[in-house]
Amino acid sequence: MSWFTFSWQNFLYSFLALAFEGLPFVLVGSLVSGAIAAFVPSRIITGLLPKNGFLATLVSGLLGLCFPVCECGIVPVVRRLINKGLPVSCGVTFMLASPIVNPIVAFSTFAAFRSQAPWFNMGIRLGFGYLMAVLAGLSVGHLSPKEILREGAVKITSRKRLAFQIGPLPDATSNDLESSFAQKLVAAIRMTCDDFIDTAIYFMIGAAVAATFNTAVDQQIILPLALDPTLSTIAMMAIAMVLTLCSTSDAFIAATFVSFPLFARMAFMVFGPMFDLKLFFLYSVLFKKRFVVCLGIGLFIAIGIISSRFLILLYASQGL
Amino acid sequence: MRAKASSLLNGLTLVGIGIVLLDFFFTGRVDQYLHPQFRPFTLVAGIIFCVIGLVYAAAKPSARCCVEGECVHENATNPFRSVIAILVLFAPLVVGVALSKDSYDQQAVLNRGFVQDITKLPVRANAVGSGTQASQAIPSEALGAEKDAAVSEPLPQDTPPASANNDSANPAVPDSGDGSAQYLPKAPDGNVALEVTDLLYAEQEEGLRKIVGGKTIEVIGQYLPGTDTKRFKLVRMFIVCCAADARPVALPVEPAGQVNASEMGWIRVTGKATFTQSGDRTQVVMKADKVESVDPPAEAMLY
Repeated sequence: MSWFTFSWQNFLYSFLALAFEGLPFVLVGSLVSGAIAAFVPSRIITGLLPKNGFLATLVSGLLGLCFPVCECGIVPVVRRLINKGLPVSCGVTFMLASPIVNPIVAFSTFAAFRSQAPWFNMGIRLGFGYLMAVLAGLSVGHLSPKEILREGAVKITSRKRLAFQIGPLPDATSNDLESSFAQKLVAAIRMTCDDFIDTAIYFMIGAAVAATFNTAVDQQIILPLALDPTLSTIAMMAIAMVLTLCSTSDAFIAATFVSFPLFARMAFMVFGPMFDLKLFFLYSVLFKKRFVVCLGIGLFIAIGIISSRFLILLYASQGL
Repeated sequence: MRAKASSLLNGLTLVGIGIVLLDFFFTGRVDQYLHPQFRPFTLVAGIIFCVIGLVYAAAKPSARCCVEGECVHENATNPFRSVIAILVLFAPLVVGVALSKDSYDQQAVLNRGFVQDITKLPVRANAVGSGTQASQAIPSEALGAEKDAAVSEPLPQDTPPASANNDSANPAVPDSGDGSAQYLPKAPDGNVALEVTDLLYAEQEEGLRKIVGGKTIEVIGQYLPGTDTKRFKLVRMFIVCCAADARPVALPVEPAGQVNASEMGWIRVTGKATFTQSGDRTQVVMKADKVESVDPPAEAMLY
């Protein structure tokens, strides 16, 4: 049997399922983004975080506990927050951490692993996800937003606006809208729609790629990889990348890969919500392609090494 | 003019997406795609898409989408972007809805690999050993779980008379003795009606094997023949969130005679479950007395 067998019937079924599951979540993210744009003044966003850049990045990784946005909807929210003056480093940290460090994912992870050390696995997932997001945020802290952000995605008028600099955009003073609630509501809806269109186009492309992999590729070819710590970790992260699952539910899928060790499944649950095929296209809405590729490679290497070298020891110490 | 045309196209695209979602919800086709917990989101999102799409199309388009000096949609009024949105967002949904058969064919099932060990199934894997299951036909009482206030009593129509505790199709087979068999779901003809996953779960639970062993059982699933002419697989798809994560759960069946069914067609298998020991694992095989084609069930997926 060939390892690749494409069928329109299977592709359409899987593609529509992904679309119907994901589009409402993209919409929620766009609604949050539109509401932030129209109703939340910049000073509130910038006032939420400590003035110290390092502390601000640490706090950004925890914002998902208050704003539990999944990875499908996070990009428009982050783009809006960066426009409101959120430092890019904090935006990257929030973007990567929020799909993992939030109460919904904590609950779903606990439920999925409820007979496999649930508290331990939930804690490891949230802690590991937070650590990786903060590290990524700190790594981009010294870069200029011009090097990271896609041209036109965010309005940056000052070359001196560094990633760690906190404060509203220098020219964010003019008001294109009157302050009446009705006008702000219409503006919020218009921006919701535009954000949705920008984001959903990339989501649909990612869903099409994932549907092709899900249905056309023989999944049995990956099973022999489960026996080696490094290969199993790489395989699980690669699977996470192509399956493009929602972080609120991927723990249930991870729990099913019982032939793979727990540390490899943890890599699946941390890497997947941070970077997959769908997110590659979604991140490209906001960031330059080169940065997105570097981010993906960096996360892949860092999560892979930590999982296959350190988590393996941690799990072994727990007898798991 | 360009801005107005763009607004109109974008608004109608969103309304179109909303209509597709609502159509899928109200025609029930969404049941074939999503876990029940995700279906209400389709309804809510469909309504929101329609509302915001109409507002977007009707509102006066501004030259730039700006608030507090932020203008992040510089090309929002570009009709080319609107056409791209139609082609990438709306057209695939419409084409998919028109052409999708709302199911996988044999090739997708083969590519995904079968689950024949219940411990490899999400939730089920956790249920084994913890005494809990999800989406099962067999209530917990039948497995010996103590009743509590949260567990509802069997409905009168589902509760067989005491004399029906024994296998109606095979009265010689005694009840297991603890009365738990009375909770087994019954088909209209009196046979025990189980799901594929129940029989695979019985591989792990000796108590359940005692309850179902020897009884005439009915199981519904999709027919998937293999290279072994004496056996075929009875397949159900198990999903966690949506059909994209569906995993085929397969029950091996040995039919008494020739099977007249199409590949992946829905069939009802009537027979007895036999359990054999293979190494340290117990394996179930359904010995079928009768295999007949049936209409697809209302819920084609298992959850």
